[in-house]
Amino acid sequence: MGEPPDRRGFLKVATCCVGGGVALAAGVPVVGLLVDPAGKQTVSSGKDPFDLGALSRFAVGAPPTRVEIVAPVVKDAWTAATNVVLGAAFIQRTTPDTIVALSAVCPHLGCAVGFDAKAGNYLCPCHDSRFALDGAKTTGPSERGLDPLPVKVVGDRLELTWVRYKLGQTSREPA
Amino acid sequence: MSDREAGGPIAKLATALDERLGARVPSVIVGGASFAYTAGAILTFLLVFEALTGIALAAFYAPTGSDAWASVAYIEDQTTWGHFVRGAHHHGGGAIVIVAGLHLVQTALAGAYKRPRELVWWLGILLLMLVLAWAITGYILPWDQAGFWANQVEVGIAAGTPIVGDRIKELALGGNDYGNLTLTRFYALHVGLLPAVVTALTVLHIKLARRHGTTSIKSGPDAPRWPDQTLRDAIATAAVVALLITIVVSSGGAPLAGPADPATAYDARPLWYFRWLYELRELAGSAEQIAAMVAPAVVGGFFVSLPLLDRKPDRAIKARLLWLGAMAGFLALIAALTMMSFARDSSNTELAERQAKAEIHAARARYLAKTNGVPASGAIDVFTTVPMYTARTLWAKSCKGCHEDAPPGAPADQQRKGPRIGPGHGNRVWLAEFLKAPSGDAFWGRTKLGKDPDAAMPAYEATPEAVADMAELLYAESGAMDIDKAKQERGKAAFETACGDCHSLEEGVAGSGPGLAKLGSRDWYFHYISNPHAAVNLGDKSEMPRFDQDLTVVERDALAGYLVWLRTATAQDLAALGPL
Repeated sequence: MGEPPDRRGFLKVATCCVGGGVALAAGVPVVGLLVDPAGKQTVSSGKDPFDLGALSRFAVGAPPTRVEIVAPVVKDAWTAATNVVLGAAFIQRTTPDTIVALSAVCPHLGCAVGFDAKAGNYLCPCHDSRFALDGAKTTGPSERGLDPLPVKVVGDRLELTWVRYKLGQTSREPA
Repeated sequence: MSDREAGGPIAKLATALDERLGARVPSVIVGGASFAYTAGAILTFLLVFEALTGIALAAFYAPTGSDAWASVAYIEDQTTWGHFVRGAHHHGGGAIVIVAGLHLVQTALAGAYKRPRELVWWLGILLLMLVLAWAITGYILPWDQAGFWANQVEVGIAAGTPIVGDRIKELALGGNDYGNLTLTRFYALHVGLLPAVVTALTVLHIKLARRHGTTSIKSGPDAPRWPDQTLRDAIATAAVVALLITIVVSSGGAPLAGPADPATAYDARPLWYFRWLYELRELAGSAEQIAAMVAPAVVGGFFVSLPLLDRKPDRAIKARLLWLGAMAGFLALIAALTMMSFARDSSNTELAERQAKAEIHAARARYLAKTNGVPASGAIDVFTTVPMYTARTLWAKSCKGCHEDAPPGAPADQQRKGPRIGPGHGNRVWLAEFLKAPSGDAFWGRTKLGKDPDAAMPAYEATPEAVADMAELLYAESGAMDIDKAKQERGKAAFETACGDCHSLEEGVAGSGPGLAKLGSRDWYFHYISNPHAAVNLGDKSEMPRFDQDLTVVERDALAGYLVWLRTATAQDLAALGPL
């Protein structure tokens, strides 16, 4: 009671400052560590194109062939695994020289799309989006059609570059 | 106080303790005890129950991409109480959502959100939301198809948030994609942060509820909490536990789908308490992103703002029909959407087929995990532990189409094109049959070679004994040990005249027909698969593609080993290998 009010005020501010400093000392490293992976390439596989085998494997005019994209090595934070299935693609050889490769990742929310042989189109099992043979969306909530993947014929082999695109938007941006 | 002090030694001890602890706060239920006040006790019990079952599960669980599924399958199939404890933990979470929901409705009906209890109400709503988030963080931990794909959708919705969506996704996944850091993150949330926060808020919620007392719905004489109310709490909790155990046992515990596989489609469905949102998204079509974000915000916002909207002190139901009606409307909508979602699925026969397949897949994975163990390389590799996995996979991919009979009713372009290969291929019986009719349907019959009488091999027309002798000679080339020497010698004597024009038994030598040295051995199969068009094999008469570029040495050798195994295998042996 005998203390002058400005002294009390100083004590209050000082307590808050010291306490805030302690909170920062504890909080900065913890939050810093927790947000560390944001923006990092924590799961990575080589960017080289994948060899899908001999071109003759894909018959002209046949229904789409589902191929698994198998990365020789995938680094996942602290582990390295060999022959990891990254996802799948559908390959269709419409003419001897035209290869259509579609990612089986649904552009809506990332579920794995299957080929519905009965209906002759693609179906996503999560929210029932359907896609025509050329990948165009026909029904369902997906914002865009299936994503085409770059393919190249090297000699008599077919090579594919695996790309993951951002989900849930009309434009096609690599993730 | 005086009648407590007058008690026996235990009461005296309690009093002495309380003098030091100060924990015993006399608590009185205004208007008398009631079963209507038991929800808080049930929820507290369920939270403790989830903590205990959770700790037991955590003692077995490994939150890494390669081990998570394996450890959960181990808990399920190879521990004494694991199946029950995991089932109880899973359904216990559902029980919390139900009881908390009822508690919320009951509180609203009693008008207990009104001044001065707004904070109790808001804390309760916050706790319910945290419990729902808790369930989401737990659903992905088994790293099975169900949790993995449901999480893709949930994180996908969060990633649709304007501006910060991408950041949210990176923080949730622990980087750019699903992996080890995703699991450790959700695990840290599930067993670290959320329990701590929920515990702290629950303590505060109870403390504040006690401070304000129950909003009395009875008008009898006041009763002490202990033991009048606590007995009712215990009975109600026991009833819930009995119901929970019944559900755990009758539902077969918690589901566990096959290991997470980013390449295989799966019909992801959220936990049942999110099904109304799932259905709303289905109905909303292209506006679904809005539905997924706006609907929970509207419902949550309504409950949060209830004490602000309905400020009159009157707690009579009649005076609050508008607000209670709105609440009833929301709840009815949620219930209707939930039922619609389940009805939609149950009327979808194609979905049922896919789900049945997924269940077989999951059961297979668990069977293999239990019998063979899960490779350290990851749960998905559990399928590679079947006998001769590499060879059989290659067979299914590269050979089966031409060398196995198609199932009945298959279209013409899927029919077998080459010689049939199956159990017993290359054994004595097979060789004898081949010698008698090389262009028979099971042999070269479906090939150009078999259809061309000039190029095709003529049948070996001889007595059954002579055919058997020749078969023995060729059979011995495979390296088999059970050779009848006498027969082999007789076969050899006949070979030069009968076969020598086109074939040779000398290594590396071919005539117009393939060389037969080491026929049917692993080495021979390896070279034949590598290049059927080699001069020592069928030359340009073969229609089979060469595989020395598409398959590695190891792969071709594995196939050759499989073909050797087939020679002595029966159809039962083949079936005993199980599906791939």
